[in-house]
Amino acid sequence: MAAGIGYALVALGPSLSLFISVVSKKPFLILTLLSSTLVWLVSLIILSGLWRPFLPLKANVWWPYALLVISSVCFQEGLRFLFWKVYKSLEDVLDSFADRISRPRLFLTDKMQIALAGGLGHGVAHAVFFCLSLLTPAFGPATFYVDRCSKVPFFLVSAIIALAFVTIHTFSMVIAFEGYAIGNKVDQVIVPVIHLAAGMLTLVNFASEGCVIGVPLLYVLASLTLVHCGKMVWQRLIESRNQSSPSL
Amino acid sequence: MESSSILDSLGVEIIGVMAPVSICMFLVVLLTYSLSVTSDTQIRTAANLIYIENPSDSATVKLEGSLENAIVFVVLVAAVTFILVLLFYYNFTNFLKHYMRFSAFFVLGTMGGAIFLSIIQHFSVPVDSITCFILLFNFTILGTLSVFSGGMPILLRQCYMVVMGIVVAAWFTKLPEWTTWFILVALALYDLVAVLAPGGPLKLLVELASTRDEELPAMVYEARPTVSSYQGRNRGSSLRALVGGGGGVSDSGSVELQAVRNHDANQHGRENPHNLDYNAVAVRDIDNVDGNANGNRDSVDRSPLVGNPREGHFASSISSEHSTAVGIRESRETVADEEMSPLVELMGWGDIEEEPRGFEESDNVENLKRGIKLGLGDFIFYSVLVGRAAMYDLMTVYACYLAIISGLGCTLILLSVYNRALPALPISIMLGVVFYFLTRLLMEPFVVGMTTNLMMF
Repeated sequence: MAAGIGYALVALGPSLSLFISVVSKKPFLILTLLSSTLVWLVSLIILSGLWRPFLPLKANVWWPYALLVISSVCFQEGLRFLFWKVYKSLEDVLDSFADRISRPRLFLTDKMQIALAGGLGHGVAHAVFFCLSLLTPAFGPATFYVDRCSKVPFFLVSAIIALAFVTIHTFSMVIAFEGYAIGNKVDQVIVPVIHLAAGMLTLVNFASEGCVIGVPLLYVLASLTLVHCGKMVWQRLIESRNQSSPSL
Repeated sequence: MESSSILDSLGVEIIGVMAPVSICMFLVVLLTYSLSVTSDTQIRTAANLIYIENPSDSATVKLEGSLENAIVFVVLVAAVTFILVLLFYYNFTNFLKHYMRFSAFFVLGTMGGAIFLSIIQHFSVPVDSITCFILLFNFTILGTLSVFSGGMPILLRQCYMVVMGIVVAAWFTKLPEWTTWFILVALALYDLVAVLAPGGPLKLLVELASTRDEELPAMVYEARPTVSSYQGRNRGSSLRALVGGGGGVSDSGSVELQAVRNHDANQHGRENPHNLDYNAVAVRDIDNVDGNANGNRDSVDRSPLVGNPREGHFASSISSEHSTAVGIRESRETVADEEMSPLVELMGWGDIEEEPRGFEESDNVENLKRGIKLGLGDFIFYSVLVGRAAMYDLMTVYACYLAIISGLGCTLILLSVYNRALPALPISIMLGVVFYFLTRLLMEPFVVGMTTNLMMF
């Protein structure tokens, strides 16, 4: 019981605190989070529908898995672009609505929060479906090891990997939205690249005891995302303050 | 920032409905998870009068049997709803209210008691029977009192609505699998017909209640702000204004100061603040929605009377509620006869009639009728679906939860577009059922195959 809760918190603890501190105060952000979770779920269902005829894949060849990961990442990145389009039109609606009731338009921080909530939705969906939904046995007394990663319990590894992915998903959404908004090509490209690289890194786990190398690499990637996102947000905030302060 | 961004205020209404539904579903899932081992006993309710499902039966037998069960159940529900409408039509309102109280007592006392007992047994809580009885009795009586009485704090009422939803839903999750699915789908269809078709019992009921300006004699969750904070007030209108898009959203407060006859189509009564102190603020805040509101803002502020337009006629009130009153007698021949009036209620957006004003002193009474209302039955059947999903896997639970919540969101958005009573079950249940089977058939092998190889993306 305690172990199960622990694994769940490893995977979802940071996002839980993000949710409580940022998202839960603003109902609109909750709605954004829910809808982006739903989008991710739908994408997963479509993907699994596409791959269903080929399942189960053979356990000892790795390239079908590589193909699967590549196709999934491409599909999801396409979906992220669609999500951005929808969000863009939503933003226009919100802005015109704000004009109509003579409230200020969306602030920069608001936009970033919406992006954060959207990313959090993706990340949470990922963690929920790839890690949490398999945790049911972990609430019992026993645990489970996979052959290829025999040092650490399976649940713990998957929780740790899920945490890395939650981080990547959450903050790459912020990066991507900012990249689309100001037309920064680097930011637009870096997000799919990070996503793909992260997916590919999990392939390292396919090798025997590969998780010893794969998981730390994944965390390097996650922290890179985090640092990049932080730098970019900081820059944008400074810029917008510099822009707005002369006019005040 | 003293002028807060609109992000702070948008969607409070929706969350106000979604939060209790989520809580209800979450607790039902917990209950089914923790108690699933102990409850293998088949129950006998109106829902499986005809056919008692046996796991070893062949698929066709199960199919036919559950179809029959579902049809019988829906017919029963429809019949009881018609009786309810008849009683209401002939003004047996007091009888209805007492009956509702009685059934609330019974639901909480017997079904709730059974669930308490099984919880106590399962976790071996050390409690003696006398204490347990007294606690249960107090709990039940408080719940009974909280139904249909004005003096109770709204939070208590909302809590008891959720509790009753949980209790009945936990009971219904004991139904056999196939029957559950068929009944859910059948109820969703029935809901659609009963609320939208001309002459549908629930439509009749809502119209009757709105023309008479009475409370619906049914168990309804009201998503009114629990604390009369300035925050949770004008959401309905803001959502409405946002979705409705057009400029015709006028604030009722300012409209009523003018000659009121000029409202043709698009003037909506707004959910209004609870007490006068807030009125001025809220009205000032809102009437900017209307382009022409600037002119009469001052007068609005001066006249506290305007704050609460008494729109007595909720002609186009949007509602979907299920009242579920379950009378359970004994576990042997338990007949859960229930009346369900599936519709959601969103009062206060009706057309504004020119009404004599000056009722502000009776504000509290008036305000009992504002806010989005969601029938108890919706709570129950959402939770039944999720509880049934919980018996398979956690993955299906999440998928169903997301599907139901998004369906509810769609319904609420439709609500603000169409401005009339809408059934809350169909979209959610259909999405939930579809997602359940998609998850179970497609996603599960995919995800399990991926993760056991520690692949993720």
